[in-house]
Amino acid sequence: MAIERTYYTIDPEGKLQCMKCGVPLVKGKAKFMYLDNGFPVELPVCPVCGFVYVPEELALGKVASVERALEDK
Amino acid sequence: MAEIEERGSTHVYKVNRISKEEIDSMVERCVYEEAPYCNAACPLKLDTRGMLKAVAEGDLKKALQIYEKAAPFPLILSMGCEAPCEAKCRLCEVGDGVAIRDVEAAVARHGQQSRLGSIFRTRKKKTAAIFGSGLFPLFLSAELEKKAYPVTVFCEEEDLSAFLHCETPFLDAESFALELKRLKGKDISFVFNCDITPSFFEEKRTEFDILCSSSEVSSRLFPDAAFLPDLMLCEEEQLVTAREGGVMAAAYGAKKAALTVDRLAQNLDPRNNRGKEGPSESRLYTDLSEAVALNRIPKHGSGYTPEEAVAEAKRCIQCHCEECMKSCAYLRHYKKYPGLLSKEIYNNTQIIMGDHQLNKPMNACSLCGQCTVVCPNGFDMAHVCHIARQNMVSTDKMPLAPHEFALLDMVFSNGDAFLSRPQPGHEQCRYVFFPGCQASAIAPETVKAAYADLRDRLDGGVALMLGCCGAICDWAGRYEMSGQTREFIDRELSKLGDPIVIAGCPTCAKELKTHKNLQVKGIWDVLLELGLPEGAHGLDRPAAMHDSCGARGDASTQNAIRSIAKQLGCELVDTPYSGDRSPCCGYGGLTAYANREVASEMTAQCLDRSDAPYISYCMACRDRFARAGRESKHILELVYGTDAGSPPDISEKRWNRLTLKNELLRDLWLEEPLEMKLNYELNYTPEARRIMDDRMILTDDVIAVIDSYRETGEAVLDSTSGLLIARKRIGNATFWVQFTRDAENSYTVHGAYSHRMNVERRQG
Repeated sequence: MAIERTYYTIDPEGKLQCMKCGVPLVKGKAKFMYLDNGFPVELPVCPVCGFVYVPEELALGKVASVERALEDK
Repeated sequence: MAEIEERGSTHVYKVNRISKEEIDSMVERCVYEEAPYCNAACPLKLDTRGMLKAVAEGDLKKALQIYEKAAPFPLILSMGCEAPCEAKCRLCEVGDGVAIRDVEAAVARHGQQSRLGSIFRTRKKKTAAIFGSGLFPLFLSAELEKKAYPVTVFCEEEDLSAFLHCETPFLDAESFALELKRLKGKDISFVFNCDITPSFFEEKRTEFDILCSSSEVSSRLFPDAAFLPDLMLCEEEQLVTAREGGVMAAAYGAKKAALTVDRLAQNLDPRNNRGKEGPSESRLYTDLSEAVALNRIPKHGSGYTPEEAVAEAKRCIQCHCEECMKSCAYLRHYKKYPGLLSKEIYNNTQIIMGDHQLNKPMNACSLCGQCTVVCPNGFDMAHVCHIARQNMVSTDKMPLAPHEFALLDMVFSNGDAFLSRPQPGHEQCRYVFFPGCQASAIAPETVKAAYADLRDRLDGGVALMLGCCGAICDWAGRYEMSGQTREFIDRELSKLGDPIVIAGCPTCAKELKTHKNLQVKGIWDVLLELGLPEGAHGLDRPAAMHDSCGARGDASTQNAIRSIAKQLGCELVDTPYSGDRSPCCGYGGLTAYANREVASEMTAQCLDRSDAPYISYCMACRDRFARAGRESKHILELVYGTDAGSPPDISEKRWNRLTLKNELLRDLWLEEPLEMKLNYELNYTPEARRIMDDRMILTDDVIAVIDSYRETGEAVLDSTSGLLIARKRIGNATFWVQFTRDAENSYTVHGAYSHRMNVERRQG
């Protein structure tokens, strides 16, 4: 069982809203997948439609560095 | 949009396109690690260069340590050495060679001796006896002591002083005292006043494992025994001995003898595994163009003072071969000479599991071939990196990320932006103009003007083909894609009646020349034949000519461009590294995509050669120089009086290609182009355009995201910034766009980012 890590914390809660459903995003379970590897993570998700939001700082930071590490595997 | 398949993480071993033998034979060409001339000439393999460096830095103690490694008795050696190194010093070719022996003598005399070996040193179990006195027993005892053999010397002399003195009468009192001290400090046992008779020798034979003797003893006791000079051995007596006299012969003989002792002690054949012994010829290359002819520092009295030795050692030019390092920004960036880098890159291709740490360096080479020209032995780093990339692709280990943008750009060039038409009024044509993808992207007006000129002045019809020659996928090592591109271009050319290709880009010309039965000319050749069009004129101030790496080894193209520049009235300034030695602008080999930092260093190096405006004949060079802020012109811009203006960003480059195609279709072939209009208004803040260019996000990607948002309504509102954020997965990446909705059908893009990882919701 992979260890679950939180790469991102929603701070403050409620500042992000799903436009489609009109509800605030909440901390939810999501999964990153790349080159046949999967990583369980917690990200802001819409409790209604399940839209998973990847914030810019996460995409350009941790996600990019993990991508590079996997590419060189 | 076309997609290129990403590799999986399970490596399938398909075809190995690189062989160890091929890499080894290439690595052999790199002489960076080759011993310098002085060192190669020395039978004792003294690290002369290292010693002179230490002296030049004023560190005589370190210099002495280096010297003592080769010569256990440095004063004796420096006085008796015949200095074969001095004759090989490369400075002899321009002036006085370095007075190496005099510097050695000063090191031996003035260098502070380091602490003697630890008394706790483990000694070997096999013991050695040395019979007789003289230089050979003296040196051999020290060599064996260094190898930790318990050594006992049996000599006829009455004490250590007499033993040392018997063959070193040339030492002055001071030097003698120093060497005596050095001898006393060594872990060697002495038995004096021995009468070395055959019976005495036979008696000791049973006590010791290895027997050695001076030449005098061996020729007296065994006058008829055969002597093997390479091994310093009388094999039938198992006696390690010598035959020649003299300091150098004794010192070199002692080194060979010590190795024989080593082999005998392990019950191994002394003939095998001896490595390289004695003087050799160095294959090193040293550029003497900047070497200054200087005279030796004169020697006064008994020898150099420490200051004089330092001054003389400073004249040493520290021979190294760094021709490629001097000229290539890529090799300098990784601070590795090509022999080592190639070995590491080869190893990188052979890793089945684990990190491929050399992926980035392997993909950072511009494959320009400059190293092959500047290397005295023609080392071809481009070939190594190219086959390594192909190998990574063939074994399914090559990540797509570094090259995907460029490959998709090529797919775009040969897809949406591709155009192949015979000249209006012709079914088949004698010529086809192939300007190259970068010309259409950067200077579409120049392409139009050139095509109009060729149509006007050439008979037999000039077709037009807007597309990519296939260099992009070739550089990326995607050999299957290269084959497909080649077939595609051949098919399109055959539809046009297999015309003669007039290439607008030297790289396209080079690439297309590899096609079978294809005749390729450069537009520069055609322009020289036809004469320049009216009104063509050059820059009104001196300019530097940058030779394209596509024209390396192609003097005809280089000369043709210079002839055109001359006819245009351009005054060209000389730059270092021009012609075949020209560096890459950073676009070649997809460096600009795989490693922007190295690409910038390459561009900077190109521009460092001159402060003048640059004229080039490759549109990618023109673009990179202009992006770096230098006034930069493509030769065709001067010929046709068109100005491509400031460099376009990545989206404008695509837009330019598409617009060029559509305008030409409309104006020449009277075909109605596809509608490219959006049914809503989309604006970009200048910052958003800058960010998108930097992150390689196209307006097409942004439009796809907004389209998706308009269709599904899926977006996040960030109440802090007030921005809406929508996303769409396109190919192998997810694109996110930050925007505002200004009106019902109007949006302003404030930013965008992407990631290659796929994200989805997880249950449980």
